[in-house]
Amino acid sequence: MLIDVLHTLMDVGTGLAAIGAGLAIGIGGGMSGIGEGNICAKGVEGIARNPEADSKIRTGMILGCALDETTGIYSLLIAILIIFVLK
Amino acid sequence: MMLFDIASIIEQIPGEIYISILVVFVIFVFSLIVFFKVKKADPLKKPKGILLLAEIGVTTFDGMVQKQMGRHFEGLGGYFMGVAIYMFLAFTIGLLGLPSPMGYYMVPFSLALVTFFMIHITSIRYKKWGYFHRFIEPFPPFLPINLLSMWAPLISMSFRLFCNALAGWAIMSLLYYVMQAASGAIFFFLPAGLNTVFIAPFIASWLHLYFDLFSAFIQTLVFLMLSMIFIAQEAPSEDDLAIAPVVA
Repeated sequence: MLIDVLHTLMDVGTGLAAIGAGLAIGIGGGMSGIGEGNICAKGVEGIARNPEADSKIRTGMILGCALDETTGIYSLLIAILIIFVLK
Repeated sequence: MMLFDIASIIEQIPGEIYISILVVFVIFVFSLIVFFKVKKADPLKKPKGILLLAEIGVTTFDGMVQKQMGRHFEGLGGYFMGVAIYMFLAFTIGLLGLPSPMGYYMVPFSLALVTFFMIHITSIRYKKWGYFHRFIEPFPPFLPINLLSMWAPLISMSFRLFCNALAGWAIMSLLYYVMQAASGAIFFFLPAGLNTVFIAPFIASWLHLYFDLFSAFIQTLVFLMLSMIFIAQEAPSEDDLAIAPVVA
């Protein structure tokens, strides 16, 4: 009976596409967050060990974070594509 | 007959291309002003105003190129400065309400394509026939993997710029809609067209600071650093030259 109710409200295909979009952004963003946490942890530890190399370490950290962010944004692009194309 | 064709062609070109032409025109006017001022300037006095900006820019980019790429590539400072200014202006022109050129995939694709050609041409120039050695890198069975990984810098660099611009635009549209709805709910006693404009002006500028300005700066820096590192990898290392690096 629950399935009949759902059938009248929304197409099963649209629902599955929504689950796909949610999984895409959830797993993609989560992995990106783990990676960036590791980058910043090692960066701050490096600065604490050697405060003179401050600006070089900071440059490397920002470069690493931007590269990591790219894979997170790839997954955002796929989620947006799924929502708008697979109505 | 010709007139109708021109009108339909002008309509079909996406708006981002016209904004790109506008950005290039602004850079061109700025360069002309600097050119005429430099001709009249006295080299022994300190520069002021626009000349000071131009001098800071040139020394920054020349220093960056020399530090990352060594003495072979001295002339590339000018190219990277042009690309960096174009990219930064193309991202931030979204602040004026105009569509950003980076939202049309061909624009970041062509920028990454130039870097792709520079990488391979540098490799051919310094290694001549040794260029084909890159396809057989560790063992000959790696040929298909190396053929595919040749395109990885091109796709990743173009996608980085395109997706940042597109995702920023999509999230800002959603947030504008949310702010309009919130303002409409809070100021329900005002007439329908007037009650949606009260919350957005206070919050939108902070959001644009992250999505447009910060994102533009970081993406420009990443594109420049990656291009320089990829191109410098193809040339022989600094130890093979007997010249010490010089930074002004």
